Amino acid sequence: MTAYLIRRVLQSILVVFISAVASYVLLSFAPGGPLSGLRQIQQQGRFKITEEDIARIRASFELDLNLPVRFSRWLIGVPRGPLTIGGKEYFGDVVVGCRKPIEAEITNSRGVQEIIVVGCKEEVLLKDIVGRRTSRGILFGDFGLSWRLLRDRPVSDLIESRIPKTLQLIGLETLLSLIIGIPLGIYSAVKQYSRFDYVFTTLAFMGSAMPSFFFGLLFILIFSILPKGAGLPYIPAGLSESVRNYTIPWIGDVIAGSAKDRTLHLMLPVAVLTILNIAGWSRFIRASMLDVLRQDYVRTARAKGLSQNVVIMKHALRNALIPFITIVVFTIPGLFGGAIITESIFAWPGMGRLYILALGDYDYPVAMALFFILSVLTVIATLLRDILYTIADPRIRLH
Amino acid sequence: MLRNRMFFVMSLLVLASMILAACGATPVATEPPAVEPPPATTAPEVIPTEAPVTATSYTTPHPILGDLRVRQALSYCTNKADLIKSVYPLLNEETQQSLVMNTFIPTSHWAYAGDENVTIYEFDAAKGAALLDEAGWTLAEGADFRTNAAGDELALKFTTTSAAFRQTWAAIWEAQMADCGVRVVRLHAPASWWFGDTTGIARRDYELGAFAWVGQADPGGQSLYACDQIPLPENGWVGQNAMGWCNELASTNIKLANNTLIKDERIAAYTIVQQEFTKDVPSIPLFNRTETFATAADLSGFAPMPGQEYYNYNVQDWEKAGSDTVILGFTQEPASLFTLVEDAFVANIAYQIIRPAQETHLNYDFKATLVKDLPTLENGGTVNNDVEVSEGTKVVDADGNVVDLAPGVFVMNSAGERVEFTGGTVTMKQMVSKFELIDGLTWEDGTPVSSADLELNKKISCDPESGATTFTVCDWTANTEFLTDAVGYVQTWIPGNQQPIYFTPVWGLYPAHQVIGDGRTLADVPAAEWATLPEVAEKPLAYGPYKLVEWVKGEKMVFTANEYWVGTPAKSPNLVIQIITAESAEALLLGGEIDILDSTSLAGLSQTLADAEVAGTIKTFVEAGGTWEHIDIQLFTR
Repeated sequence: MTAYLIRRVLQSILVVFISAVASYVLLSFAPGGPLSGLRQIQQQGRFKITEEDIARIRASFELDLNLPVRFSRWLIGVPRGPLTIGGKEYFGDVVVGCRKPIEAEITNSRGVQEIIVVGCKEEVLLKDIVGRRTSRGILFGDFGLSWRLLRDRPVSDLIESRIPKTLQLIGLETLLSLIIGIPLGIYSAVKQYSRFDYVFTTLAFMGSAMPSFFFGLLFILIFSILPKGAGLPYIPAGLSESVRNYTIPWIGDVIAGSAKDRTLHLMLPVAVLTILNIAGWSRFIRASMLDVLRQDYVRTARAKGLSQNVVIMKHALRNALIPFITIVVFTIPGLFGGAIITESIFAWPGMGRLYILALGDYDYPVAMALFFILSVLTVIATLLRDILYTIADPRIRLH
Repeated sequence: MLRNRMFFVMSLLVLASMILAACGATPVATEPPAVEPPPATTAPEVIPTEAPVTATSYTTPHPILGDLRVRQALSYCTNKADLIKSVYPLLNEETQQSLVMNTFIPTSHWAYAGDENVTIYEFDAAKGAALLDEAGWTLAEGADFRTNAAGDELALKFTTTSAAFRQTWAAIWEAQMADCGVRVVRLHAPASWWFGDTTGIARRDYELGAFAWVGQADPGGQSLYACDQIPLPENGWVGQNAMGWCNELASTNIKLANNTLIKDERIAAYTIVQQEFTKDVPSIPLFNRTETFATAADLSGFAPMPGQEYYNYNVQDWEKAGSDTVILGFTQEPASLFTLVEDAFVANIAYQIIRPAQETHLNYDFKATLVKDLPTLENGGTVNNDVEVSEGTKVVDADGNVVDLAPGVFVMNSAGERVEFTGGTVTMKQMVSKFELIDGLTWEDGTPVSSADLELNKKISCDPESGATTFTVCDWTANTEFLTDAVGYVQTWIPGNQQPIYFTPVWGLYPAHQVIGDGRTLADVPAAEWATLPEVAEKPLAYGPYKLVEWVKGEKMVFTANEYWVGTPAKSPNLVIQIITAESAEALLLGGEIDILDSTSLAGLSQTLADAEVAGTIKTFVEAGGTWEHIDIQLFTR
């Protein structure tokens, strides 16, 4: 077991590293970025962009450094300048980037004209980057500075501001989904082809088929806008809490920011996510349970005269839940990643929205920090799943 | 085994990509984003005779569009009201009509020539048809499209972006042209191609092309219609006059309008340009896009205006009945309130709440707010001196660049002539303006605003380490003398700087006295640190109607009334900017969670909002925005 764990941890580190390289390289070559738009800026009036301005802006975003150098500084915070040994500097004249590239317009193979870099007017040497601000490296928990969303301030501030809300939303939704979804799936399997099973199956299919934005908007209309307009009790349409106090018929006064207020604001997004999860998870449990119930050992248990409850809870359920471990374990990255669409529909200030904003605003340090954290959590979840399998099913052995 | 191999291959690929990247320089954006060319405002047209500069290409008039009668016919056949109706169906007719553009300047703009001074092409399909007949494009019995004597069909390629908005009105326009017997072949290209550096408009790759310009309070960008602004292979495709319009009279007056500083002279010059523009029809101006706002029905004081810079210019007048708080919804959170590095509109709106600008634009005109007066030549606040300059003096050359005067440099002399400096001295114009702030401006901590605050603003704004994008104003400044007997400064520009908006304030205010968290005063903090300072980026000291008391990232910015504000006290004790999403915006307004949605959150007037207004739940405001749609006409072929 120990040897297995060590091997898996080493493999996981490699996977995380490759994932970090891949995401960094992909984002580096993605169109857009902080320089996009500079070429289109109007060169008139009191606003003119010079070549020197562009060089300065490129340097401030480290875009004047070669990709491996940038990646290394992002990952582990080096190089920060020439190597100094015994007071003597080495490699100071190594070229690490280009401050002012020479661009040329070419016609590519598709006949489309494009601008490419053909040389460098002014190189950046290793000794030139001494004193430049850089993070200590993402591996050491420093995600660097935000390019756009929190301009020049730590990415970690942004992430820390969003995590509590996402944990609140996704945690509650996952818990409710498990509490409701598992029993529903079991009951539906045990009562296969009953009226309940048909109704449940139909609803589950509908729940799985409906996109979250549809449910979200529908719920806002049904539980918020329409009842409020009619003077009936309603649930707030969005946000995580209100700015000012309000009164809901039958419920009474609600103080902005109070536990009651926050609970009311949680209801709609949690309901939407829970319904969607229940629909999927309970169907999964149902199918798994049905498989198990057909097994010989279940039939044997029944033949031995064990009660239905004992057969189901003791013999069938434990085995039926084994595949479900995969689903549950992978809620771990989900807890961090948030729910992009639902958070948008309900203006919930969570990680999902942050993720979308980071990509949309070309805030690559934020996006890469999220990629990195998600990949680490996914790797951990995978490892955890494998270990849990062996616990849940002793027949599975680690090799 | 297979898994191991795949893993090995992936590792190799990653390694290879890094090596490749290491060999090359940093990547460069090869494709511009899907945005439109920014401000400017014009459309050009060249009478299809004389070619600009010494061009060897684009000298052949377009076989169809080179004929003025055809261009006029296209204008007459264009029913602008129907185009507007197609994209803004929920607006009433009066509002729809107010969006119509006749020239390249909005009708409510101070530089608009007036309906009586330009040729207005009211929709008249019969007149359009007659002009086409006259031009030799006739409609045969039973035919759908016109042909000429050679049997060639009157068909034109019409290029624009694939935005749904443009697809909508373009389809209507195609039908309108078909009614006149003109076949329009629509091409909805990706914005990245249409607005690309080396494609689309930049390479004059269209016959008819639609996009939008953004109108400004000062229409300085109209110089794009000048003869020397025509992009050609010979000049490296420099210039935005992609139609190839070269009308000498218009061109001369465009230059004049941009070079004279007397407003009446500028209006007269712009009038001539607009007359020529509508006469030659190098472009068909269509309509302004709208800016839509919506508020709770019981909110008062909210009054957006056309041609405004910031709709919250009167934020102190906003008030919600029965509540001590007004809530403004933002679908985009400001990244920072250090506006030197963050110039997003939402950041500026938030900044204006705590630090209103010294001047703003309303109805496309300039309005002094925190300066006693805008120092114009007319009121004597600015003088335009003749100065002798010699070699080595920093000047603005004839092309608008800051250079050290040397033989061979072209400058505009004091007579307004473009001359080559050959040595000795040359007499140039040099402006000096005096800006004085109103009395009583006080920071939220009770410290009066001083000239030291202006001086600190200048120091930081001109420091390359501050993170600012451009230093044009600093480069143009010869000297700034800060007043000691009042809060203000005398700004002396370097010779040759004759910018038409010379009268707008140059330097803002930073609280030089403020002590920051580590005990230093703000004036002692190096510019390089400013962007990261919470006292600058997240909670700047206010002198405006509100002060910022809390900023919960991703959620809200909370403001309270500033008791030291020199102007009318804020009617609402509290103001909150609530961060929302575009998807939730209307629901939150209707649900009462927010009170105001601005034009950055609303794409237009939706049926939901219109219905809610009818029901009395909300109020909507639809204004003609600065952005306007037009169809440019290619006058020459390569």
